[in-house]
Amino acid sequence: MSHSPKGPPAPLSPILLAGLALRPVPYVLLQPIFTKAIRQMHNRHSDVFERLIALGSPRYLIDPVDLPFSFIMDTNPAHPTLDVLAEGSDETIMDIKACVRGPLLQLIELLEGRIDGDALFFSRDLVVEGDTEAVLGLRNAVDGADINVHEDLLDLFGPLSKPIDGAAQIAGKIFNRFSRDLSLISQASTAPLQRKCDAQAASIEELEETVATLKKQLRRRREKTA
Amino acid sequence: MTTEKLELVCPAGTPAALRAAVDAGADTVYCGFRDATNARNFPGLNFSRDELAEGIEYAKQHGSKVLVALNTYPEAGNPEPWHQAVLDAADLGAHALIMADVGLLSYAADNRPDTRRHLSVQASASNPDAIGYYQKAFDVKRVVLPRVLTVPEIAALNKQIDVETEVFVFGGLCVMAEGRCSLSSYATGQSPNMNGVCSPASHVRYENKGNKLVSKLGDFTINQFSQSEAAGYPTLCKGRFVTEDKPSYLFEDPTSLNAAQFLPELMEAGVTALKIEGRQRGKAYIAQVVAAFRRAADAAARGETVPPLGLENITEGQRETTGAYNKRWQ
Repeated sequence: MSHSPKGPPAPLSPILLAGLALRPVPYVLLQPIFTKAIRQMHNRHSDVFERLIALGSPRYLIDPVDLPFSFIMDTNPAHPTLDVLAEGSDETIMDIKACVRGPLLQLIELLEGRIDGDALFFSRDLVVEGDTEAVLGLRNAVDGADINVHEDLLDLFGPLSKPIDGAAQIAGKIFNRFSRDLSLISQASTAPLQRKCDAQAASIEELEETVATLKKQLRRRREKTA
Repeated sequence: MTTEKLELVCPAGTPAALRAAVDAGADTVYCGFRDATNARNFPGLNFSRDELAEGIEYAKQHGSKVLVALNTYPEAGNPEPWHQAVLDAADLGAHALIMADVGLLSYAADNRPDTRRHLSVQASASNPDAIGYYQKAFDVKRVVLPRVLTVPEIAALNKQIDVETEVFVFGGLCVMAEGRCSLSSYATGQSPNMNGVCSPASHVRYENKGNKLVSKLGDFTINQFSQSEAAGYPTLCKGRFVTEDKPSYLFEDPTSLNAAQFLPELMEAGVTALKIEGRQRGKAYIAQVVAAFRRAADAAARGETVPPLGLENITEGQRETTGAYNKRWQ
Protein backbone atom coordinates (compact mmCIF):
# COMPACT_ATOMS: atom_id res chain seq x y z
CA MET A 1 0.00 0.00 0.00
CA SER A 2 2.93 2.28 -0.49
CA HIS A 3 1.88 5.82 -1.30
CA SER A 4 4.41 5.62 -4.08
CA PRO A 5 5.75 2.60 -5.93
CA LYS A 6 9.18 4.23 -5.54
CA GLY A 7 9.36 3.39 -1.84
CA PRO A 8 10.42 0.17 -0.13
CA PRO A 9 7.64 -2.42 0.29
CA ALA A 10 5.38 -1.79 3.27
CA PRO A 11 5.88 -4.40 6.01
CA LEU A 12 2.87 -6.29 7.38
CA SER A 13 2.37 -4.41 10.63
CA PRO A 14 -0.33 -2.85 12.83
CA ILE A 15 0.54 0.47 11.16
CA LEU A 16 -0.35 -0.96 7.76
CA LEU A 17 -3.69 -2.22 9.10
CA ALA A 18 -4.37 1.10 10.83
CA GLY A 19 -3.63 2.84 7.54
CA LEU A 20 -6.20 0.65 5.81
CA ALA A 21 -8.74 1.57 8.48
CA LEU A 22 -7.94 5.25 7.96
CA ARG A 23 -8.54 5.13 4.22
CA PRO A 24 -12.21 6.23 4.39
CA VAL A 25 -11.35 9.15 6.70
CA PRO A 26 -11.01 12.49 4.89
CA TYR A 27 -7.40 13.49 5.50
CA VAL A 28 -8.39 17.07 6.12
CA LEU A 29 -9.71 15.84 9.48
CA LEU A 30 -6.23 14.57 10.40
CA GLN A 31 -4.45 17.77 9.41
CA PRO A 32 -4.90 19.59 12.79
CA ILE A 33 -3.02 16.77 14.58
CA PHE A 34 0.02 17.17 12.33
CA THR A 35 -0.14 20.96 12.49
CA LYS A 36 0.05 20.74 16.28
CA ALA A 37 2.86 18.16 16.08
CA ILE A 38 5.08 20.32 13.85
CA ARG A 39 4.41 23.39 16.03
CA GLN A 40 5.48 21.40 19.05
CA MET A 41 8.62 20.25 17.26
CA HIS A 42 9.34 23.86 16.33
CA ASN A 43 8.88 24.99 19.94
CA ARG A 44 11.09 22.29 21.42
CA HIS A 45 13.68 21.78 18.67
CA SER A 46 13.95 25.04 16.75
CA ASP A 47 17.64 24.26 16.15
CA VAL A 48 16.62 21.58 13.64
CA PHE A 49 15.05 24.21 11.39
CA GLU A 50 17.86 26.70 12.00
CA ARG A 51 20.45 24.14 10.84
CA LEU A 52 18.54 23.77 7.56
CA ILE A 53 18.66 27.50 6.72
CA ALA A 54 22.09 26.99 5.12
CA LEU A 55 20.43 24.57 2.69
CA GLY A 56 17.67 27.07 1.80
CA SER A 57 15.07 25.64 4.27
CA PRO A 58 14.02 22.86 1.86
CA ARG A 59 10.56 21.31 1.46
CA TYR A 60 10.58 17.53 1.90
CA LEU A 61 8.20 14.77 0.95
CA ILE A 62 8.07 12.36 3.89
CA ASP A 63 6.39 9.15 2.78
CA PRO A 64 5.57 6.52 5.41
CA VAL A 65 5.06 3.64 2.98
CA ASP A 66 2.68 1.79 5.31
CA LEU A 67 0.20 4.69 5.47
CA PRO A 68 -2.18 5.74 2.68
CA PHE A 69 -0.95 9.33 2.82
CA SER A 70 2.36 11.18 3.00
CA PHE A 71 3.50 14.58 4.23
CA ILE A 72 5.00 17.72 2.82
CA MET A 73 7.30 19.23 5.42
CA ASP A 74 8.24 22.86 4.89
CA THR A 75 11.24 23.70 7.07
CA ASN A 76 10.79 27.49 7.05
CA PRO A 77 12.46 28.35 10.40
CA ALA A 78 9.82 30.98 11.26
CA HIS A 79 6.79 28.87 10.41
CA PRO A 80 7.42 25.21 9.59
CA THR A 81 4.46 23.19 8.32
CA LEU A 82 3.57 19.51 7.96
CA ASP A 83 0.77 19.05 5.42
CA VAL A 84 -0.98 15.77 4.70
CA LEU A 85 -0.75 14.78 1.06
CA ALA A 86 -3.41 12.37 -0.13
CA GLU A 87 -2.53 9.25 -2.10
CA GLY A 88 -2.27 9.94 -5.81
CA SER A 89 -1.43 13.64 -5.47
CA ASP A 90 0.97 15.03 -8.02
CA GLU A 91 4.28 15.30 -6.13
CA THR A 92 6.01 17.05 -9.00
CA ILE A 93 4.19 20.35 -8.49
CA MET A 94 4.95 20.70 -4.81
CA ASP A 95 8.40 22.33 -5.08
CA ILE A 96 9.87 19.41 -3.16
CA LYS A 97 13.63 19.28 -2.84
CA ALA A 98 13.94 15.70 -1.61
CA CYS A 99 11.86 12.65 -0.72
CA VAL A 100 12.37 10.22 2.16
CA ARG A 101 10.36 7.01 2.03
CA GLY A 102 10.23 4.19 4.59
CA PRO A 103 8.03 2.42 7.14
CA LEU A 104 6.52 4.82 9.71
CA LEU A 105 8.14 3.27 12.78
CA GLN A 106 11.59 3.42 11.21
CA LEU A 107 11.05 7.05 10.19
CA ILE A 108 10.17 7.83 13.83
CA GLU A 109 13.24 5.93 15.07
CA LEU A 110 15.32 7.95 12.61
CA LEU A 111 13.75 11.19 13.84
CA GLU A 112 14.68 10.25 17.40
CA GLY A 113 18.20 9.14 16.44
CA ARG A 114 17.54 5.60 17.69
CA ILE A 115 18.51 4.04 14.38
CA ASP A 116 21.35 4.84 12.00
CA GLY A 117 20.15 6.42 8.74
CA ASP A 118 23.05 5.07 6.69
CA ALA A 119 22.37 1.53 7.94
CA LEU A 120 18.69 1.88 6.97
CA PHE A 121 19.77 3.08 3.56
CA PHE A 122 22.29 0.24 3.09
CA SER A 123 19.59 -2.30 3.97
CA ARG A 124 17.22 -0.60 1.46
CA ASP A 125 14.57 -0.05 4.14
CA LEU A 126 14.88 3.66 3.43
CA VAL A 127 14.66 5.20 -0.02
CA VAL A 128 15.82 8.75 -0.70
CA GLU A 129 15.37 10.77 -3.87
CA GLY A 130 16.10 14.27 -5.06
CA ASP A 131 18.65 16.56 -3.45
CA THR A 132 20.88 14.25 -1.42
CA GLU A 133 22.49 17.20 0.36
CA ALA A 134 19.05 18.26 1.67
CA VAL A 135 18.37 14.71 2.91
CA LEU A 136 21.75 14.49 4.63
CA GLY A 137 21.25 17.93 6.19
CA LEU A 138 17.86 16.87 7.58
CA ARG A 139 19.24 13.58 8.90
CA ASN A 140 22.12 15.32 10.65
CA ALA A 141 19.89 18.08 12.02
CA VAL A 142 17.36 15.70 13.62
CA ASP A 143 20.07 13.30 14.77
CA GLY A 144 21.70 16.08 16.76
CA ALA A 145 18.46 17.30 18.33
CA ASP A 146 17.59 14.67 20.98
CA ILE A 147 13.96 14.44 19.81
CA ASN A 148 11.58 12.19 21.76
CA VAL A 149 8.29 11.92 19.86
CA HIS A 150 6.44 10.31 22.79
CA GLU A 151 7.42 13.06 25.25
CA ASP A 152 6.95 15.87 22.73
CA LEU A 153 3.42 14.73 21.87
CA LEU A 154 2.42 14.08 25.49
CA ASP A 155 3.41 17.61 26.32
CA LEU A 156 0.64 18.82 24.00
CA PHE A 157 -2.03 17.46 26.33
CA GLY A 158 -1.06 19.55 29.36
CA PRO A 159 -2.72 18.24 32.56
CA LEU A 160 -4.13 15.23 30.67
CA SER A 161 -0.65 14.05 29.70
CA LYS A 162 -0.30 11.65 32.66
CA PRO A 163 -3.46 9.57 32.05
CA ILE A 164 -2.79 9.66 28.31
CA ASP A 165 0.75 8.41 28.97
CA GLY A 166 -0.71 5.49 30.96
CA ALA A 167 -3.10 4.64 28.14
CA ALA A 168 -0.27 4.96 25.61
CA GLN A 169 1.87 2.50 27.62
CA ILE A 170 -0.93 -0.10 27.55
CA ALA A 171 -1.53 0.56 23.86
CA GLY A 172 2.20 0.18 23.25
CA LYS A 173 2.25 -3.27 24.86
CA ILE A 174 -0.75 -4.40 22.79
CA PHE A 175 0.90 -2.96 19.69
CA ASN A 176 4.13 -4.85 20.34
CA ARG A 177 2.31 -8.14 20.88
CA PHE A 178 0.24 -7.61 17.75
CA SER A 179 3.39 -6.76 15.79
CA ARG A 180 5.04 -10.01 16.88
CA ASP A 181 1.92 -12.01 15.92
CA LEU A 182 1.76 -10.36 12.51
CA SER A 183 5.45 -10.99 11.98
CA LEU A 184 4.90 -14.70 12.68
CA ILE A 185 1.96 -14.82 10.26
CA SER A 186 4.02 -13.01 7.64
CA GLN A 187 6.96 -15.41 8.00
CA ALA A 188 4.71 -18.48 7.86
CA SER A 189 2.92 -17.26 4.74
CA THR A 190 6.07 -16.30 2.83
CA ALA A 191 8.35 -19.19 3.87
CA PRO A 192 7.54 -21.49 0.89
CA LEU A 193 7.95 -18.58 -1.51
CA GLN A 194 11.23 -17.58 0.13
CA ARG A 195 12.62 -21.09 -0.35
CA LYS A 196 11.71 -20.96 -4.05
CA CYS A 197 13.29 -17.50 -4.41
CA ASP A 198 16.52 -18.65 -2.75
CA ALA A 199 16.72 -21.65 -5.08
CA GLN A 200 16.06 -19.47 -8.12
CA ALA A 201 18.66 -16.91 -7.00
CA ALA A 202 21.26 -19.69 -6.71
CA SER A 203 20.39 -20.95 -10.20
CA ILE A 204 20.59 -17.46 -11.69
CA GLU A 205 23.99 -16.87 -10.08
CA GLU A 206 25.25 -20.16 -11.53
CA LEU A 207 23.91 -19.26 -14.96
CA GLU A 208 25.49 -15.79 -14.82
CA GLU A 209 28.86 -17.34 -14.05
CA THR A 210 28.47 -19.80 -16.91
CA VAL A 211 27.53 -17.01 -19.35
CA ALA A 212 30.50 -14.89 -18.22
CA THR A 213 32.87 -17.86 -18.72
CA LEU A 214 31.43 -18.59 -22.17
CA LYS A 215 31.73 -14.92 -23.17
CA LYS A 216 35.36 -14.90 -22.07
CA GLN A 217 36.09 -18.09 -24.05
CA LEU A 218 34.36 -16.64 -27.11
CA ARG A 219 36.34 -13.42 -26.88
CA ARG A 220 39.64 -15.30 -26.58
CA ARG A 221 38.72 -17.48 -29.55
CA ARG A 222 37.90 -14.36 -31.59
CA GLU A 223 41.18 -12.74 -30.54
CA LYS A 224 43.10 -15.83 -31.63
CA THR A 225 41.41 -16.05 -35.01
CA ALA A 226 41.72 -12.28 -35.65
CA MET B 1 56.65 -2.81 23.89
CA THR B 2 53.22 -4.28 24.68
CA THR B 3 50.33 -1.98 25.43
CA GLU B 4 48.45 -2.72 28.67
CA LYS B 5 45.17 -1.16 27.67
CA LEU B 6 44.09 0.18 24.31
CA GLU B 7 42.66 3.68 24.15
CA LEU B 8 39.33 3.86 22.32
CA VAL B 9 39.15 6.89 19.98
CA CYS B 10 35.59 7.48 18.81
CA PRO B 11 33.93 9.73 16.23
CA ALA B 12 31.33 12.46 16.80
CA GLY B 13 29.65 14.57 14.12
CA THR B 14 27.23 16.34 16.46
CA PRO B 15 27.12 17.22 20.18
CA ALA B 16 24.50 14.47 20.64
CA ALA B 17 26.88 11.96 19.05
CA LEU B 18 29.71 13.16 21.31
CA ARG B 19 27.56 12.53 24.39
CA ALA B 20 26.57 9.13 22.99
CA ALA B 21 30.24 8.21 22.48
CA VAL B 22 31.25 9.33 25.98
CA ASP B 23 28.26 7.53 27.55
CA ALA B 24 29.13 4.35 25.65
CA GLY B 25 32.68 4.29 27.01
CA ALA B 26 34.91 6.29 24.67
CA ASP B 27 38.30 7.21 26.13
CA THR B 28 38.64 10.01 23.62
CA VAL B 29 36.27 11.54 21.08
CA TYR B 30 37.39 13.24 17.89
CA CYS B 31 35.35 15.87 16.09
CA GLY B 32 35.71 18.91 13.83
CA PHE B 33 34.51 22.45 13.27
CA ARG B 34 31.64 23.20 10.91
CA ASP B 35 33.83 24.17 7.93
CA ALA B 36 36.45 22.93 5.46
CA THR B 37 39.13 22.55 8.15
CA ASN B 38 38.17 18.91 8.69
CA ALA B 39 37.65 15.94 6.40
CA ARG B 40 33.95 15.42 7.21
CA ASN B 41 32.60 18.77 6.06
CA PHE B 42 29.04 17.52 5.41
CA PRO B 43 25.81 19.55 5.64
CA GLY B 44 24.34 19.82 9.14
CA LEU B 45 27.38 18.11 10.67
CA ASN B 46 30.14 19.24 13.04
CA PHE B 47 30.59 21.71 15.86
CA SER B 48 30.33 25.43 16.42
CA ARG B 49 32.87 26.92 18.88
CA ASP B 50 30.23 26.98 21.63
CA GLU B 51 29.22 23.37 20.96
CA LEU B 52 32.85 22.27 21.10
CA ALA B 53 33.33 24.05 24.45
CA GLU B 54 30.23 22.27 25.84
CA GLY B 55 31.40 18.95 24.38
CA ILE B 56 34.85 19.26 25.96
CA GLU B 57 33.25 20.06 29.30
CA TYR B 58 30.89 17.07 29.04
CA ALA B 59 33.77 14.78 28.15
CA LYS B 60 35.90 16.09 31.04
CA GLN B 61 33.09 15.52 33.53
CA HIS B 62 32.94 11.88 32.42
CA GLY B 63 36.68 11.25 32.33
CA SER B 64 37.05 11.44 28.53
CA LYS B 65 39.10 13.71 26.27
CA VAL B 66 38.32 15.51 23.03
CA LEU B 67 40.58 15.61 19.97
CA VAL B 68 39.91 18.11 17.20
CA ALA B 69 40.51 17.08 13.60
CA LEU B 70 42.03 19.85 11.45
CA ASN B 71 43.06 17.32 8.88
CA THR B 72 42.51 19.03 5.54
CA TYR B 73 45.14 20.96 3.63
CA PRO B 74 44.81 24.77 3.90
CA GLU B 75 43.73 26.52 0.75
CA ALA B 76 46.52 28.38 -1.08
CA GLY B 77 46.44 32.04 -0.06
CA ASN B 78 43.80 31.47 2.61
CA PRO B 79 45.34 29.73 5.65
CA GLU B 80 43.42 31.92 8.16
CA PRO B 81 40.45 29.58 8.81
CA TRP B 82 42.90 26.76 9.61
CA HIS B 83 45.08 28.97 11.79
CA GLN B 84 42.04 30.28 13.67
CA ALA B 85 40.80 26.71 14.13
CA VAL B 86 44.15 25.74 15.73
CA LEU B 87 43.96 28.67 18.16
CA ASP B 88 40.28 28.14 19.02
CA ALA B 89 40.49 24.37 19.48
CA ALA B 90 43.55 24.70 21.73
CA ASP B 91 42.07 27.57 23.74
CA LEU B 92 38.78 25.71 24.23
CA GLY B 93 40.71 22.88 25.87
CA ALA B 94 41.08 20.23 23.19
CA HIS B 95 43.40 17.47 24.37
CA ALA B 96 45.10 17.23 20.97
CA LEU B 97 44.88 18.51 17.39
CA ILE B 98 44.89 16.00 14.52
CA MET B 99 46.64 17.50 11.50
CA ALA B 100 48.24 16.43 8.21
CA ASP B 101 49.63 19.58 6.61
CA VAL B 102 53.23 20.44 7.50
CA GLY B 103 52.47 24.16 7.45
CA LEU B 104 49.60 23.76 9.87
CA LEU B 105 51.63 21.44 12.12
CA SER B 106 54.35 24.10 12.17
CA TYR B 107 51.82 26.84 12.98
CA ALA B 108 50.34 24.78 15.83
CA ALA B 109 53.80 23.93 17.23
CA ASP B 110 54.80 27.60 17.18
CA ASN B 111 51.56 29.14 18.47
CA ARG B 112 50.05 26.54 20.81
CA PRO B 113 53.04 24.35 21.74
CA ASP B 114 51.38 22.93 24.86
CA THR B 115 48.52 21.29 22.95
CA ARG B 116 49.42 17.81 21.75
CA ARG B 117 49.81 17.27 18.03
CA HIS B 118 48.66 14.04 16.39
CA LEU B 119 49.56 13.20 12.80
CA SER B 120 46.41 12.50 10.78
CA VAL B 121 46.02 9.44 8.57
CA GLN B 122 45.71 12.02 5.77
CA ALA B 123 49.48 12.53 6.01
CA SER B 124 49.88 8.86 5.01
CA ALA B 125 53.06 8.43 7.08
CA SER B 126 53.81 4.71 7.19
CA ASN B 127 57.57 4.32 7.58
CA PRO B 128 60.08 5.22 10.32
CA ASP B 129 61.76 7.98 8.31
CA ALA B 130 58.53 9.84 7.60
CA ILE B 131 57.24 9.46 11.15
CA GLY B 132 60.64 10.40 12.58
CA TYR B 133 60.60 13.57 10.50
CA TYR B 134 57.19 14.65 11.85
CA GLN B 135 58.33 13.89 15.39
CA LYS B 136 61.59 15.83 15.06
CA ALA B 137 60.15 18.81 13.19
CA PHE B 138 56.81 19.26 15.00
CA ASP B 139 57.08 17.17 18.16
CA VAL B 140 54.18 14.98 17.07
CA LYS B 141 53.14 12.69 19.91
CA ARG B 142 50.99 10.24 17.98
CA VAL B 143 50.64 9.03 14.40
CA VAL B 144 47.41 7.64 12.93
CA LEU B 145 48.62 4.89 10.63
CA PRO B 146 47.28 4.47 7.07
CA ARG B 147 44.99 1.50 6.52
CA VAL B 148 47.50 -0.37 4.38
CA LEU B 149 49.69 -2.09 6.98
CA THR B 150 49.54 -5.65 8.27
CA VAL B 151 49.81 -6.40 11.98
CA PRO B 152 53.45 -7.64 11.66
CA GLU B 153 54.30 -4.46 9.72
CA ILE B 154 52.79 -2.35 12.49
CA ALA B 155 54.74 -4.31 15.12
CA ALA B 156 57.98 -3.80 13.19
CA LEU B 157 57.26 -0.10 12.75
CA ASN B 158 56.53 0.41 16.45
CA LYS B 159 59.97 -1.01 17.30
CA GLN B 160 61.61 1.66 15.17
CA ILE B 161 59.71 4.78 16.24
CA ASP B 162 59.27 6.66 19.47
CA VAL B 163 55.74 8.01 19.09
CA GLU B 164 52.36 6.51 19.90
CA THR B 165 50.47 4.77 17.10
CA GLU B 166 46.73 4.79 16.50
CA VAL B 167 45.08 2.38 14.06
CA PHE B 168 41.62 2.15 12.50
CA VAL B 169 39.58 -0.82 13.67
CA PHE B 170 36.08 -0.16 12.40
CA GLY B 171 34.19 1.73 9.69
CA GLY B 172 34.70 2.97 6.17
CA LEU B 173 37.87 2.20 4.26
CA CYS B 174 39.90 4.14 1.72
CA VAL B 175 41.85 2.15 -0.83
CA MET B 176 44.00 5.02 -2.03
CA ALA B 177 47.12 6.53 -0.49
CA GLU B 178 45.33 8.64 2.06
CA GLY B 179 45.53 12.38 1.64
CA ARG B 180 46.41 11.92 -2.02
CA CYS B 181 43.19 10.52 -3.51
CA SER B 182 41.81 12.64 -6.35
CA LEU B 183 38.84 10.52 -7.45
CA SER B 184 36.24 12.72 -5.75
CA SER B 185 37.95 15.82 -7.07
CA TYR B 186 37.95 14.37 -10.59
CA ALA B 187 34.22 13.66 -10.48
CA THR B 188 32.97 16.69 -8.56
CA GLY B 189 35.73 19.28 -8.22
CA GLN B 190 35.75 18.75 -4.45
CA SER B 191 37.97 16.41 -2.45
CA PRO B 192 38.38 15.27 1.16
CA ASN B 193 41.89 16.69 1.17
CA MET B 194 41.06 20.29 0.29
CA ASN B 195 37.33 20.70 0.92
CA GLY B 196 36.76 18.09 3.58
CA VAL B 197 34.27 16.11 1.50
CA CYS B 198 34.63 12.85 -0.39
CA SER B 199 31.74 12.53 -2.88
CA PRO B 200 29.89 15.62 -1.60
CA ALA B 201 26.16 15.08 -1.14
CA SER B 202 25.45 18.06 -3.38
CA HIS B 203 26.79 16.01 -6.32
CA VAL B 204 25.12 12.71 -5.38
CA ARG B 205 21.81 11.54 -6.85
CA TYR B 206 19.85 8.38 -6.18
CA GLU B 207 17.31 7.37 -8.80
CA ASN B 208 14.87 4.49 -8.72
CA LYS B 209 14.72 2.97 -12.18
CA GLY B 210 12.39 0.01 -12.37
CA ASN B 211 13.62 -2.46 -9.80
CA LYS B 212 17.06 -0.86 -9.58
CA LEU B 213 18.47 1.85 -7.38
CA VAL B 214 20.93 3.87 -9.42
CA SER B 215 23.54 5.99 -7.65
CA LYS B 216 25.25 8.84 -9.48
CA LEU B 217 28.15 11.08 -8.57
CA GLY B 218 28.36 14.17 -10.76
CA ASP B 219 28.06 12.92 -14.33
CA PHE B 220 29.12 9.39 -13.45
CA THR B 221 26.85 6.44 -12.76
CA ILE B 222 28.54 4.76 -9.82
CA ASN B 223 26.37 1.74 -9.23
CA GLN B 224 23.06 -0.03 -9.79
CA PHE B 225 21.64 -2.07 -6.97
CA SER B 226 18.96 -4.69 -7.56
CA GLN B 227 16.03 -4.89 -5.15
CA SER B 228 17.63 -7.55 -2.95
CA GLU B 229 21.13 -6.03 -2.79
CA ALA B 230 22.49 -4.01 0.10
CA ALA B 231 23.53 -0.50 -0.98
CA GLY B 232 26.82 1.34 -0.38
CA TYR B 233 28.26 4.84 -0.41
CA PRO B 234 28.37 6.61 -3.79
CA THR B 235 32.16 6.95 -4.04
CA LEU B 236 34.07 6.24 -7.24
CA CYS B 237 36.39 3.80 -5.46
CA LYS B 238 33.36 1.69 -4.54
CA GLY B 239 31.69 1.94 -7.92
CA ARG B 240 30.76 -1.10 -9.98
CA PHE B 241 32.18 -1.02 -13.47
CA VAL B 242 31.76 -3.26 -16.50
CA THR B 243 34.90 -5.03 -17.67
CA GLU B 244 34.98 -8.13 -19.84
CA ASP B 245 31.19 -7.90 -20.05
CA LYS B 246 30.76 -8.35 -16.33
CA PRO B 247 29.99 -5.62 -13.82
CA SER B 248 32.23 -5.86 -10.76
CA TYR B 249 33.83 -3.83 -7.99
CA LEU B 250 37.23 -3.10 -9.52
CA PHE B 251 38.78 -1.18 -6.62
CA GLU B 252 36.88 -2.00 -3.47
CA ASP B 253 33.61 -3.63 -2.48
CA PRO B 254 31.09 -1.65 -0.42
CA THR B 255 32.17 -3.02 2.94
CA SER B 256 33.28 -1.84 6.39
CA LEU B 257 36.47 -2.59 8.24
CA ASN B 258 36.08 -4.67 11.39
CA ALA B 259 39.40 -5.56 13.03
CA ALA B 260 38.02 -6.59 16.42
CA GLN B 261 39.59 -10.03 16.13
CA PHE B 262 43.04 -8.44 15.90
CA LEU B 263 42.89 -6.46 19.14
CA PRO B 264 45.16 -8.86 21.11
CA GLU B 265 47.73 -8.81 18.30
CA LEU B 266 47.53 -5.02 18.01
CA MET B 267 48.20 -4.73 21.75
CA GLU B 268 51.13 -7.08 21.35
CA ALA B 269 52.34 -4.94 18.44
CA GLY B 270 52.58 -1.91 20.73
CA VAL B 271 49.62 0.06 19.35
CA THR B 272 48.37 2.76 21.75
CA ALA B 273 44.92 3.61 20.42
CA LEU B 274 42.09 2.17 18.33
CA LYS B 275 40.19 4.47 16.02
CA ILE B 276 36.58 4.05 14.98
CA GLU B 277 35.63 5.77 11.72
CA GLY B 278 32.24 7.45 11.20
CA ARG B 279 31.81 11.10 12.10
CA GLN B 280 29.19 11.22 9.32
CA ARG B 281 27.10 8.48 10.95
CA GLY B 282 24.21 8.96 13.39
CA LYS B 283 24.38 8.77 17.17
CA ALA B 284 22.73 5.31 17.10
CA TYR B 285 25.73 4.00 15.13
CA ILE B 286 28.15 5.73 17.51
CA ALA B 287 26.46 4.30 20.61
CA GLN B 288 26.34 0.76 19.20
CA VAL B 289 29.87 0.63 17.81
CA VAL B 290 31.55 2.34 20.76
CA ALA B 291 29.81 0.09 23.30
CA ALA B 292 30.81 -2.99 21.29
CA PHE B 293 34.46 -1.94 21.02
CA ARG B 294 34.53 -0.96 24.70
CA ARG B 295 33.62 -4.59 25.49
CA ALA B 296 36.18 -5.83 22.99
CA ALA B 297 39.03 -3.60 24.21
CA ASP B 298 38.31 -4.47 27.85
CA ALA B 299 38.25 -8.18 27.03
CA ALA B 300 41.57 -7.88 25.21
CA ALA B 301 43.08 -6.00 28.18
CA ARG B 302 42.04 -8.87 30.47
CA GLY B 303 43.67 -11.34 28.10
CA GLU B 304 40.31 -12.81 27.13
CA THR B 305 39.02 -13.70 23.68
CA VAL B 306 37.30 -10.77 21.98
CA PRO B 307 33.53 -11.49 21.98
CA PRO B 308 31.43 -11.30 18.79
CA LEU B 309 30.33 -7.69 18.38
CA GLY B 310 27.14 -8.08 16.29
CA LEU B 311 27.74 -5.01 14.15
CA GLU B 312 26.85 -6.51 10.76
CA ASN B 313 23.57 -4.58 10.55
CA ILE B 314 25.27 -1.20 10.44
CA THR B 315 28.15 -1.96 8.10
CA GLU B 316 28.35 -0.56 4.58
CA GLY B 317 26.84 -3.00 2.12
CA GLN B 318 26.10 -5.08 5.23
CA ARG B 319 29.52 -6.71 4.82
CA GLU B 320 32.72 -6.68 6.86
CA THR B 321 36.41 -7.04 6.05
CA THR B 322 39.61 -7.27 8.05
CA GLY B 323 41.23 -5.01 5.42
CA ALA B 324 45.00 -4.87 5.23
CA TYR B 325 45.48 -6.39 8.69
CA ASN B 326 45.13 -9.73 7.01
CA LYS B 327 46.56 -8.66 3.66
CA ARG B 328 46.82 -11.23 0.93
CA TRP B 329 47.95 -8.90 -1.84
CA GLN B 330 50.97 -6.72 -2.57
